[in-house]
Amino acid sequence: MAQNFEFSLGERRALAPTGVIRLKMADAQELVNLTIDGVPLSVPKGTLLVEAAKQIKQEIPVYCYHTKLGPAGLCRVCLVEVEGMPKLQIGCNTPVAEGMVVHTQNAKVNAGRGMVLELLLVNHPLDCPICDKGGECDLQDYAMAYGRGSSDVADPKQSKPKGVDLGPTIVLDEERCVVCQRCVRYDDIIAAESQLVVKDRGHNDIIATATGDPYAHNFTGNVTELCPVGALTSKTYRFKSRPWDLVRTQTSCTQCAVGCQQFVDQRSGSLLRAQMVESDDRVSDGWLCDRGRYNIGFYTADDRITQPLYNDNGTFVQVGWDDALSMWAKAIREAQTAGKAIGAIGGGRLLNEEAYLLQHVFRAIGTQNLDWRAGRQAVATPARTGTYQDLEKAAAILMIGETPEERAPVMWLRVIKAVTRNGAKLIRVATADKAPNIAHVDAKSVEEALSLLPAQGQVVVVWDGIDTSVGAKIRDAMASRNGMGLIASEQPNARGAEAMGMLPASGGMDTGAMFDAAGRGELGALSLFGVNPVRNFSNPERARAALEATPFVVVSELFMTETARLATLVLPARGAYEKSGTVVNIAGDLLPVNASVQGPVGTLSDLEMLVGLAQQFGLPLPTVEELERTVIEKAATAGPVALRELHGEAAHDTIARPARTIWDGGGTAAHDPRITRMLADKMIPTELVEA
Amino acid sequence: MPVTKVLTEGIGEANLRDIDVYRQRGGYVQWERAVRELTPAQVMEAADKSGLRGRGGAGFPTGRKWGFLPNNGKPRYLVCNCDEAEPGTFKDHMLLEQTPHLVLEGILLGAYGIGCTHAYIYIRGEFKEGYEIFTKALADARAAGMFGKKLFGTDYSLEVTAHRGAGAYICGEETGLLNSLEGKRGEPRLKPPFPAIAGLYGMPTVVNNVETLAYLVPVLKNGAEWFSSVGTERSKGYKIVSVSGHVQKPGNYEMPLGTTVREIIEIAGGLLPGRKFAAVQPGGQSSACIFEEHLDYPYDYESMAKAGSMLGSGAFTVFDDSTDFVKAAFNSVRFYAHESCGQCTPCREGGHWLERVLHRFVEGRGLASDLEMIERVGTTITGLNLCALGDSIEPFLISVFRRFKPQFEARIQREEAVGV
Ligand SMILES: Cc1cc2nc3c(=O)[nH]c(=O)nc-3n(C[C@H](O)[C@H](O)[C@H](O)COP(=O)(O)O)c2cc1C
Ligand code: SF4
Ligand code: SF4
Ligand code: SF4
Ligand code: FES
Repeated sequence: MAQNFEFSLGERRALAPTGVIRLKMADAQELVNLTIDGVPLSVPKGTLLVEAAKQIKQEIPVYCYHTKLGPAGLCRVCLVEVEGMPKLQIGCNTPVAEGMVVHTQNAKVNAGRGMVLELLLVNHPLDCPICDKGGECDLQDYAMAYGRGSSDVADPKQSKPKGVDLGPTIVLDEERCVVCQRCVRYDDIIAAESQLVVKDRGHNDIIATATGDPYAHNFTGNVTELCPVGALTSKTYRFKSRPWDLVRTQTSCTQCAVGCQQFVDQRSGSLLRAQMVESDDRVSDGWLCDRGRYNIGFYTADDRITQPLYNDNGTFVQVGWDDALSMWAKAIREAQTAGKAIGAIGGGRLLNEEAYLLQHVFRAIGTQNLDWRAGRQAVATPARTGTYQDLEKAAAILMIGETPEERAPVMWLRVIKAVTRNGAKLIRVATADKAPNIAHVDAKSVEEALSLLPAQGQVVVVWDGIDTSVGAKIRDAMASRNGMGLIASEQPNARGAEAMGMLPASGGMDTGAMFDAAGRGELGALSLFGVNPVRNFSNPERARAALEATPFVVVSELFMTETARLATLVLPARGAYEKSGTVVNIAGDLLPVNASVQGPVGTLSDLEMLVGLAQQFGLPLPTVEELERTVIEKAATAGPVALRELHGEAAHDTIARPARTIWDGGGTAAHDPRITRMLADKMIPTELVEA
Repeated sequence: MPVTKVLTEGIGEANLRDIDVYRQRGGYVQWERAVRELTPAQVMEAADKSGLRGRGGAGFPTGRKWGFLPNNGKPRYLVCNCDEAEPGTFKDHMLLEQTPHLVLEGILLGAYGIGCTHAYIYIRGEFKEGYEIFTKALADARAAGMFGKKLFGTDYSLEVTAHRGAGAYICGEETGLLNSLEGKRGEPRLKPPFPAIAGLYGMPTVVNNVETLAYLVPVLKNGAEWFSSVGTERSKGYKIVSVSGHVQKPGNYEMPLGTTVREIIEIAGGLLPGRKFAAVQPGGQSSACIFEEHLDYPYDYESMAKAGSMLGSGAFTVFDDSTDFVKAAFNSVRFYAHESCGQCTPCREGGHWLERVLHRFVEGRGLASDLEMIERVGTTITGLNLCALGDSIEPFLISVFRRFKPQFEARIQREEAVGV
């Protein structure tokens, strides 16, 4: 029955057209007039020919150049002819000049490019039939466009190591490498890791880590996409597919609250890879972290729950959806009849539409005991919000609380950019975390950190939203100057849940109060959506005791988490690649989530579950259009939530925990066979993965 | 014979490594005079007016090069290039070992002329002895108050650091040198920006050859006109020519620019008995050969260019009729393939490919189809590279390939490759 709900949230959407899109007026710039292939154009001074040509839809081939890495002048395939210059010029490092006449397509240019291609193929193994890049390889494409049909090579090709195990994520084929050094430069410029280097010299050169250690950090996978050929390949995708057999969906990553845009490629219903959206300047700056890229295997994990489960005195038995929904409704009604409180917790891992409906249905049922907070975080919406681009341009960045490096990985890449390339000052009030490998100052207290701020310029505070007294200090200090905040939330849609109203109102209980009420025997039924307080709550034992004391606990989940194991009823949910809707990220952007695969038979989205529950109560529901409109409106207008005290004085129980990593948090890494295989390789320390 | 002794003055006669001997012979007088009496602009003007051109290979006018430095208040650096790894060139390390204080005085003058307070000398890794000699000279000169803080009672302070390379030809290329000096991989940098704008540690930098800087000493002593009155119209002054190959007395000979090719061969004792002249490579391994028809060309920058070659670093290698030019070409290409840093495609792949093909010719296993390939690939890669090393593969190879084609044809075994 439930599968028949016709309540899908529509088709793919572009970034929602709301107030959250902030357009900046381009700075007035001096324009230069030139002609490319006979077409006159005007571009800002300083533009490189390779970029200028794009404006007239003319592609200059490149290997080493990359918009985000800048010119390197190594591959020499980008040759163009500039009238008045005797030699061919490289388009990647030649800026436009007034009156310049450029040819990107003529016999001389093609001959030069042809020579470069011919040379690149002298030692290339040409093992395209077994190369993952086949079909989307720049060497194949340019060889077709500029190469010769035949070869003069009469000598054996030089052999180099193949199948090199570069690290937990990547296998390297040295023979396919065209030594464009994109990977090396990325590791240096973007990731600030400098692990990758070119070793040896001349035609013997190879790509390797400087130390010989495995190539491992939070952003390794990006090099597989920067690599123009099939030299760097992802272990998770090796030998899996050809690009033309993949069905591609653009969506937002929901593994954390950054919300990176990504392409998800599936074949016959299984997710094979996630790829970066290079044009996404706004959110991801074109990158993904390794979690967002690789942690997609859990969707088809064997231990996924695919049937509602009823806890029959300690044994979980399968029940049908009809029974599950009516048991759920019955338990709520009975609790209400008995004068007991009911409540719902969740939203930070749901889509906006679901979070909205969650509070809508439960408010209609008659409770204000609603909260998205189930961990340690108290607040997700900053007093003064800003974009990730603001972060890039900040004069100073104040980092307070738990490592944003791990909580909001790709946002951390912007911090690197701000500090290493734009000269921002980074000040940390460090928890006991490892020091970042970029220039920074450590302060012992928030007060000291504030005293170290430069007198002028924009300050961006990156905070974890945990300690509200810290939040108040920052808010007050920033009120008098050009400052804004980004709260690196622990749940991907925390800010969305807050905007959708998943907060106690009119005297309703927050999570801590609900747990206390449970302890006093006052809570009759509690519904949990995608939260695992038994692991993540500031005091997990308190959460456990509360759930054990609550007569009827409903948990919507993908896996049998610590929390689900204490449930009366477990509802098998769909994950973000299996449903469509929107989320709000750290910067307040309303982002689309588009389903790329169908969930396993037997699972429902939380939205569908809530519709089912509402029907049990005979409640009126918004139409799809109404829901969409409401969500957009709320996402755009939701202001900061006044800093509240959460969980009373017990909010800041300090629980000893290992340093968090990007694999932590979502609870999914441990269920992803690909990630656990990396684990088996001892590449990710076991204690850092959520069990 | 127009052999002259300017920089080489005293070498072989006196122990110029001894600072006292050097000073007794007038050493450091120009330096002290410059700091006490001349402005940096006057030193720069002398360099400019003398017509002195870079002796490192490119022959770029020294004064003009200094003039590219921007006046932006940033610290400037002078780097003396003593990498000298080009086959056939052996003048700089002779100066370094025989007259280290002259080299140092040149560096000091250059540093003062561009207004720098910290100068470097990058010494080729293999010059262990030269490095030690120079380090001793540095210590002696410092003790004598020739550089350091508040020189000669003025406000001018100057530091000099000697850095020994690790041994790679490409570290002689000025931007490869700067990377190496900074502790990075010795790879040439993408230009622009040029070192004058962003060089050592990103600061405005001049890189000059040892011989170039050393000539500043006699230029200041005798005046710019003294230097510019010698030589040809646009190639002024003197040059140390490193003569090698099939001559009776190979060695370094200093002479006015404009001496003819034939005279240089004679200065070096002439050809070996019973041999006939075949070719001269007049400007180091990167230069094309010139032939009989060029014997009476004056040895200067313009004439060598007119002959299809270049004066380069002044390495002058003579080949007689006993030369196996297939082997010589192979040897030259092998050198470049070995020394290529590997950054850019044409140099990395082209050099290596040509090396393998020529190796087959040396072994008598050439293919007729290779002849077209050598010509086509050899010439096309020139001009496509990031630095001049890649563009240096062609000149010697193609000049002898064209001139002595029968030697190559004689090594052909088959028409084309068989099998795969
Ligand atoms: C591959 C290569 C190697 C070079 N090696 C040297 C060298 O060993 N010594 C040198 O002075 N210049 C060398 N040069 C030239 C330098 O790049 C630079 O032009 C020179 O040091 C400038 O000094 P100058 O103006 O005094 O000649 C080399 C150039 C190339 C391309
Ligand atoms: S591995 Fe790929 S990205 Fe790295 S240098 Fe080689 S071709 Fe370029
Ligand atoms: S930073 Fe967050 S949103 Fe971006 S790819 Fe990583 S997990 Fe996904
Ligand atoms: S031309 Fe050769 S030596 Fe010069 S940068 Fe390119 S590969 Fe390196
Ligand atoms: S893209 Fe211009 S040299 Fe590689």
